Amino acid sequence: MQKYITLILILPLIGALVNGVAGWKLPRRVVAAVGCASVGASFYFAWKAFSLMGGPVNFKLGDWLSVSWFSAPMEFHYDALSATMALMVTGVSFLIHVYSVGYMKDEEGYARYFTLLNLFVSSMLILVLAANLPLMYIGWEGVGFCSYALIGFWYKDTANADAGRKAFIVTRIGDVAFGVALIWLFYFAGSTSISVVNEQAVGSMPVSTATFIGILLLFGAAGKSAQLPLSVWLPDAMAGPTPVSALIHAATMVTAGVYLLMRMFPVIHLSETAMAVTAGAGALTAFYAATCALAQRDIKKVLAYSTISQIGYMFMGVGAGALTGSLFHLLTHAFFKALLFLTAGCIIHAMKGERDIYKMGGLMTKTPVLFWCFLAGALALSAAPGTGGFFSKDLIQAATLAQGSAYFTTLWVLSEVTAFITTIYIFRVVYLVFAGESGPAPVKTPRLMTVTLVPLAVMSLAGGMINAPELWGGTQRLATILASQSLAGSAHVTHEAFVQAVGAFLFAAGVAYSHYIYAVNPEARVKRAYKYPGLIAFLNSGWYLDRLYNIIFVTPYTRLSVFLWKTVDEAALDYSFDSAGTGLAKAGTLLRASVTGRASTYILAVLAGAAAIMVFFTWSAI
Amino acid sequence: MSATLFYILSLSTVLATLMAITRRELVHAIAYLVLSFFSIALIFYMMGAPLIAALEVIVYAGAIMVLFLFIVMMLEMGVPKAAPKPFLRTWGPAGFIALTILVCTCVLFASGPGMPADGVKFISPRTFGHTLFSGYALAVEAVSLLLLFALVGALYLGRRE
Amino acid sequence: MVPFSHILILAAIIFALGAACAAVRRNVLMILVGVEVMLNAAGLAFVAGSMRWGMPEGQIFVLFLMAMAASEVSVGLALVVYLHRRKKTVDVDDYDDMKG
Repeated sequence: MQKYITLILILPLIGALVNGVAGWKLPRRVVAAVGCASVGASFYFAWKAFSLMGGPVNFKLGDWLSVSWFSAPMEFHYDALSATMALMVTGVSFLIHVYSVGYMKDEEGYARYFTLLNLFVSSMLILVLAANLPLMYIGWEGVGFCSYALIGFWYKDTANADAGRKAFIVTRIGDVAFGVALIWLFYFAGSTSISVVNEQAVGSMPVSTATFIGILLLFGAAGKSAQLPLSVWLPDAMAGPTPVSALIHAATMVTAGVYLLMRMFPVIHLSETAMAVTAGAGALTAFYAATCALAQRDIKKVLAYSTISQIGYMFMGVGAGALTGSLFHLLTHAFFKALLFLTAGCIIHAMKGERDIYKMGGLMTKTPVLFWCFLAGALALSAAPGTGGFFSKDLIQAATLAQGSAYFTTLWVLSEVTAFITTIYIFRVVYLVFAGESGPAPVKTPRLMTVTLVPLAVMSLAGGMINAPELWGGTQRLATILASQSLAGSAHVTHEAFVQAVGAFLFAAGVAYSHYIYAVNPEARVKRAYKYPGLIAFLNSGWYLDRLYNIIFVTPYTRLSVFLWKTVDEAALDYSFDSAGTGLAKAGTLLRASVTGRASTYILAVLAGAAAIMVFFTWSAI
Repeated sequence: MSATLFYILSLSTVLATLMAITRRELVHAIAYLVLSFFSIALIFYMMGAPLIAALEVIVYAGAIMVLFLFIVMMLEMGVPKAAPKPFLRTWGPAGFIALTILVCTCVLFASGPGMPADGVKFISPRTFGHTLFSGYALAVEAVSLLLLFALVGALYLGRRE
Repeated sequence: MVPFSHILILAAIIFALGAACAAVRRNVLMILVGVEVMLNAAGLAFVAGSMRWGMPEGQIFVLFLMAMAASEVSVGLALVVYLHRRKKTVDVDDYDDMKG
């Protein structure tokens, strides 16, 4: 068992090393083969380890940090949560690697791309399998770095490099909060091992400490998972290649925050305030992002805001105690969001690089494969009854409603409104891209890209089977596995049928509404759009959050920097050094005046010296 | 009696030197300087140094000043070109420094040792020569070498190209 | 005779005058004259010392002083002649090639 887990971790790392060191010399086929094979083998071993899993496994690969009072060995923990995450990460990554081979066929930097992708997968696996917080932090930072490098992959265009930098800086702010929480937990528990910390927390942590730590962890997770207030980097991150968006910003890195919250759930659970804040942040972000997605023109930006919104659901689930629901939604979201992104990549490729959905149209008849795959993803996203997304989203919403308090009921209402908006915005894309006749003729997409879409489509539609509720005759396999290792959280699900009925109704209403607006009566839509330009601009720019941050943080900081540069550094410091130099030169010139070359001056100087000595003698004598 | 003489001679020395250093005409300055040297020679005689007094007149006033006159006459120096600057500007700094030295030395000397009880001891040439050649013969040789060097140096520097 | 310090004060006055002459006058020959005056003042002090302690050593040193003054004057005047031939002037302010 240990061997399998070690192999899961090591193989992508080896792939990254080979491609990184020698990739620029190897032919493209070899680079692609190394990249895909390492992740594929990792997935195979993940599957084997999952099928062999008996109970939680803890093993140590070696010593890492160790002083007398602190030690953080390279210890790995394999339980149901890690197993599921590892499976999802390696499986989806493998499909995306294969897709990338087709996508990056004509691009430069081939070896660099696959190196970074493999490095990313290994960092994510370290994050998921780590048994202590510093090791998880390494994985955390590793995915952050790879995200930065991959977003700014086409760095020759400064806009892309800026987007990468923005992502890195914003997530860094969250990382600081995570770091503080890490140190605080060590201070409290004397160890950074996650199991030790959780045990001690349940035993003896005061509620106020748990609140603070919970909110710090929430802030850190919000940075990585692009929730409010740190969500601004994800829409800009769409500057990177589409497979990168699919892998990092749909399936894996942005779920790292949710994973952190799920791992530290015993600590967060102690504080009702922390739970409430988490749920509230999740619900609010879900609503915010759904409204913004309504007004986007770039197809990838719609999907980016959709990711933010769906992860908000996962946060809400954690806040309501429904860990099963959050994990379930995490898995289904990985499938259908990756599917949507990859299909969007194919669409953009077919439209010769055009990303504006208003300039596309009629692809239903011209590229039927893309249409059916995108439709599968759209159905899963908008929680059409029977799809995986339906079961997972409704599990979360049922758990929220079951909390009972007025606060959580309000959050539930907000989440249902968000579900309605979700349906509208994704079917807006479906109608505008695929229906109608007006778009240009598409370019043929490579086979490698379309072939990976099919497994994802199947998983999106059928993923509900992972945890189908008893109402529908399922066996709740995920819930059982998690509960057997006491990872299922604290939610009790009651009005499940009611919530599912509400969900189904909203889905139908949403589809009908968007059909009415976008298919039946397009002129009315255009007229209405002209009536509310301010609202559309507001939603399009993400509720002007970028501008707000600019005013509050960026501009004062830039002004302070300029002040320190111009006034302090140049005017004061440089000037003082320069004037010291010129002052010395002037003093030298002054002194030069005494070197007249005339003997009378020198004789006078000698006599003056003699006079001084005489004065000294006289002075000391009297 | 000898004290009064001394003060008169010292007055004449100082006045002569003062005139010597402030003359614009070089020959006048040298003439006043000769007068100053004569006064000093007389003071030397009064202090019981007849040989030195004689040598002062012979060597200093006789040889050195005559040498000066030779050179003054030989070089055609003409009238000094520059406009005369204000008195204080020329003599101010040097005067102040010289005054400082003077005041300091006076303060230092005022508390010096007094005179012995018996009168001035007259050092005759016989005593002088005896002491010189018995005790300081080496110094005499050294000084003669010095004169040789000066001779050679003056010859070399003064040669015509 | 007069107190010993009076003679020394006289010597100091003559020395100060000679120093002022050497420092102020622009003619090279007058500078040499100032040097002669200073040497003379020193000799006066030596002879005064010889009188005070009744030993001939002071006068012996004055002899050497005079010899040195003579040699110095001869070399100095030879230099003046040389400089006059080169620069056609005996104004010491014009010998400023070492300026700066």
